[in-house]
Amino acid sequence: MTDRTNAPVTSRTWPWFVMAGAGLVTFVASMTVAPDAIQGQLSRIMYVHVPSAWLAYLAFGITMISSAMYLWKRDLAWDRRAHASAEIGVVFTAMAIGLGMIWAKPTWGIFWTWDARLTLTAIMFFVYLGYLALRRTTDDLHARARRASILGVLAVVQVPLVHFSVIWWRTLHQPPSVFEPASPDIDTPMLLTLLLAVACFTIIYASMMVKRLELAGMEDAILVAEQVDDSVVAGEAVTRPSVEGGLA
Amino acid sequence: MIPFMAQVRTIARRDLIRERRSGEVVWVTIPFGGIALLMVPLAIGTDAPTLQRIGPGLFWTIVMLFGVLISIRQTNAETVPQRDQVALTGLDPAAIYVGRATASFFLLVVFQLVLGVVTIVLYDVPVDGAVAFPLLIVLVGAGLALLGTLAAAIVSTGSSATALVPLLVAPLSIPLLIGASQTLEALRLGRSSLAWTLLMIVTVLVLAVAGVLAARPLQETG
Repeated sequence: MTDRTNAPVTSRTWPWFVMAGAGLVTFVASMTVAPDAIQGQLSRIMYVHVPSAWLAYLAFGITMISSAMYLWKRDLAWDRRAHASAEIGVVFTAMAIGLGMIWAKPTWGIFWTWDARLTLTAIMFFVYLGYLALRRTTDDLHARARRASILGVLAVVQVPLVHFSVIWWRTLHQPPSVFEPASPDIDTPMLLTLLLAVACFTIIYASMMVKRLELAGMEDAILVAEQVDDSVVAGEAVTRPSVEGGLA
Repeated sequence: MIPFMAQVRTIARRDLIRERRSGEVVWVTIPFGGIALLMVPLAIGTDAPTLQRIGPGLFWTIVMLFGVLISIRQTNAETVPQRDQVALTGLDPAAIYVGRATASFFLLVVFQLVLGVVTIVLYDVPVDGAVAFPLLIVLVGAGLALLGTLAAAIVSTGSSATALVPLLVAPLSIPLLIGASQTLEALRLGRSSLAWTLLMIVTVLVLAVAGVLAARPLQETG
């Protein structure tokens, strides 16, 4: 088993600038591209909603790979990657659901409908919330990592379910617009803007991972330090004999 | 070396004997499920056609939510020294997992049978899908038992285990819920229910394989 929790942690500032830059590029691109002929300004939500959903897939995929790597190598660094990625994935899943609901109200007339894509996404969100809750049940780093890794590998089965739900079931949610086998069902400037937003969000994800991993390293180091402080030292029960009058 | 199936039988028998002594499922979980079935009409209204329509779906929902309590109870009842002792016997971790799931399966079948009768009586549910009911009970029982045992092993003991395991099991049991309710619905409408039954079979197989593969690393966790 490998434990790098004592390695010094350096705080980098560049990820903040990268995140701000990528966010700005996405904002400017999505606000300057022409609105959709039918949906109008509402279509701009797509430039954040779709990349958020993509990031959720990516993050949970990375969680699965990192979890599998932990089970193979037993290196806590892989567990920290799995944790960091799952946490970011949960945030972006919530964002995708929330933005989807905002878009749905004026388009479908309701915030929520029992559509396969929506329901499966909500289930995926709750499973990964459970994954994060599971990690809080024990302070033993390796025990926590082993339990979470098994769930991290199992839970990823939902990603293809969510993605292909629009093909496998008759749903209100539109089918894939970008990766259509024949030709993309989306105008070229909109497609390019969407791809740019996806690229920017991926950069944001990578930057968030860097910062979250720094934090995870510090959290684990504190946990290890606390456990060392609390543990009984060999020979602790033996006290110095009391000699009346003191030793010379 | 004790054969695998003999190990499974030993663990399942131990869990069932423990259940016979404590009577938790018979005296607590089944009455609790019955009360839930009794309370719903009081909350949503006692309109007979509505109750008849929602009865089957409600039955499966209560089975899923309350069934989790059955499938996690053995793991929750076990203390860390008891678990260590079982591990030290040298039994195959996969056999321990299958044995525990087998015991839960039998208890879940009893649970479903009793609640099924209560639902038919209270909600006046027509028994159109009675032919498929035994198969559904077996598949839901197996799926919930495997899932609950695996989730309980992942969470292990701890103050939050009782709350956390249902949080993990409930969303993952949805293929079973959809499969069971849609099979009955398909039979009621005279359609083929094969796809829904296959969904449940695949779910049960995936859970069985996942549980067996995860058993050893989970035992290391202690």
